[in-house]
Amino acid sequence: MKVLGVETSCDETAAAVVVDGEQVLSSVVSSQVDLHAAFGGVVPELASRAHVELLTPVIAEAMLEAGVEGRDLGAVAATVGPGLVGSLLVGLSAAKALALVWGVPFVGVNHLEGHIYAAFLEEPDLEPPLVVLLVSGGHTMLIAMEAHGRYRLLGATLDDAAGEAYDKVARYLGLGYPGGPAIDALALEGDPSAIDFPRGLLREGYDFSFSGIKTSVVTYVRKHPSVGTADVAASFQEAVVDVLVTKAQRAAAEIGATGIVLGGGVAANSRLRERILDACIADGLRAFLPSRAMCTDNAAMIAAAGWWRLRSDGPTPLGAGADPGLGLPLITT
Amino acid sequence: MIILGIETATLQVGCAVGGVEGALASFTATRGRRHAETLVPAVQFVCAQAQVDLDEVSVVAVDVGPGLFTGLRVGVATAKALALALRVPMVGLSSLDLLAFALHHTDGLIATVVDARRGEVFAAMYRPVPGGVQRVAEPRVCSPGDLAGELMAMGEDCLLVGDGAVRYASSFDDARHLSIADGAFAHPSPAALVQLAHARAVREEFVQPSELEPMYLRKADAEINWERRARV
Ligand SMILES: [Zn+2]
Repeated sequence: MKVLGVETSCDETAAAVVVDGEQVLSSVVSSQVDLHAAFGGVVPELASRAHVELLTPVIAEAMLEAGVEGRDLGAVAATVGPGLVGSLLVGLSAAKALALVWGVPFVGVNHLEGHIYAAFLEEPDLEPPLVVLLVSGGHTMLIAMEAHGRYRLLGATLDDAAGEAYDKVARYLGLGYPGGPAIDALALEGDPSAIDFPRGLLREGYDFSFSGIKTSVVTYVRKHPSVGTADVAASFQEAVVDVLVTKAQRAAAEIGATGIVLGGGVAANSRLRERILDACIADGLRAFLPSRAMCTDNAAMIAAAGWWRLRSDGPTPLGAGADPGLGLPLITT
Repeated sequence: MIILGIETATLQVGCAVGGVEGALASFTATRGRRHAETLVPAVQFVCAQAQVDLDEVSVVAVDVGPGLFTGLRVGVATAKALALALRVPMVGLSSLDLLAFALHHTDGLIATVVDARRGEVFAAMYRPVPGGVQRVAEPRVCSPGDLAGELMAMGEDCLLVGDGAVRYASSFDDARHLSIADGAFAHPSPAALVQLAHARAVREEFVQPSELEPMYLRKADAEINWERRARV
């Protein structure tokens, strides 16, 4: 079944056509990064305006590239949350209209579940139980995926998301926005062991805390004004990655996972990928590292997650709305 | 020629389907569930009531504002997607034009006033002409007080219409020449949208979905602050 996916939860306008949740026929992403860069972060009103302008051409391009017509589709899936409400409403409204005209089911998709299914697009033989490490500008979550659609939350950040810590430190170091790629690139030229930044909650449970490390960076740079920025970037990154990898590795051993899945924007970080891969090789686990294109927000992952949700829950009513605070559907028993 | 009209520029969510004879079915709700939840089921409803198959629709018309940004975008995004999927052209009409058109049987000046929140209104002025209205002052965003002053200075009888006129009625109270149209006319009519869009469609005044944009008339706050900062 071919599914059209639509994603507009933040600052990427995206559409994609995916077959059976695994074969990507097209994936078009129109990024607004340049639009927001001058403001040092995503401006919700500007994002919503850009989605209205870009979405129809992006959908048309995804359909054309995939060589499909509306009547070839089995469903239209769109992100309904979490995200910026004004942005979500643009994609959701368009997707429902398309589903109505084409007479196919509409499926509302959880953006976080989309990030998990990005891994399945590239590794269709992936088998739960898995440990999922979801890291982005808005989220840091460690999840046990017991089966398709069955998630147990092991831990989450108590304060800043990992990506948020990257953005804040990058801003402090004058590296601009977005911070992740800037620090990642600069860290390659630095010594990761130059400065021993704190590893928050390293040995305790599965929760994370990243607010302290930003303060440590500021304090250190003030005390040592001559320190090389590359060393600061590399050492900061090493501290963050250390915590993420240690906890994911421990979780995988505890639940008997077959592998570790990385998802979310920070999953594109080269040091994180390298360290997860090393940890998985050491423990005889499989490492599922989505390609860089699949780490950032895209609609192929929404189409894939939508295909699975349609199979398990059926269509979403056309009267559905957006839910900006939507959480991952968790099992608690 | 069947026209499907989408109207979500104010608190009201509406849609209508019709043709040369005007609207065949229309829906409006000013209170209840939000625009995004209501609109697509409402489109389904009016088409079913009018016994119109979506495939018969040859033009999608939409109210492009000005109005409340979030609702407006729901309507424009929905209308663009409908047009894309149906492979039909679009007609975009202003909320202010629609409000004035409903009063075209009046004599004298018409001022259309849409609530812009934050103590401001979107407004434009019109004169009745045979079969419709003609815009005599371009849409702008201003305070109700400034608008009242401008209208009084013109020294003619003027009928104000729209949810902004109702909300800020006290601003227009003192002026001798000004009167406010009944609340029944306070929101743009999806039936009027279909009727006006039909006339445009006959003249083939179309836009493509990729070209149609909402009329915001106000920049995003971040841009306003940015420009202010850049100036100092
Ligand atoms: Zn995301």
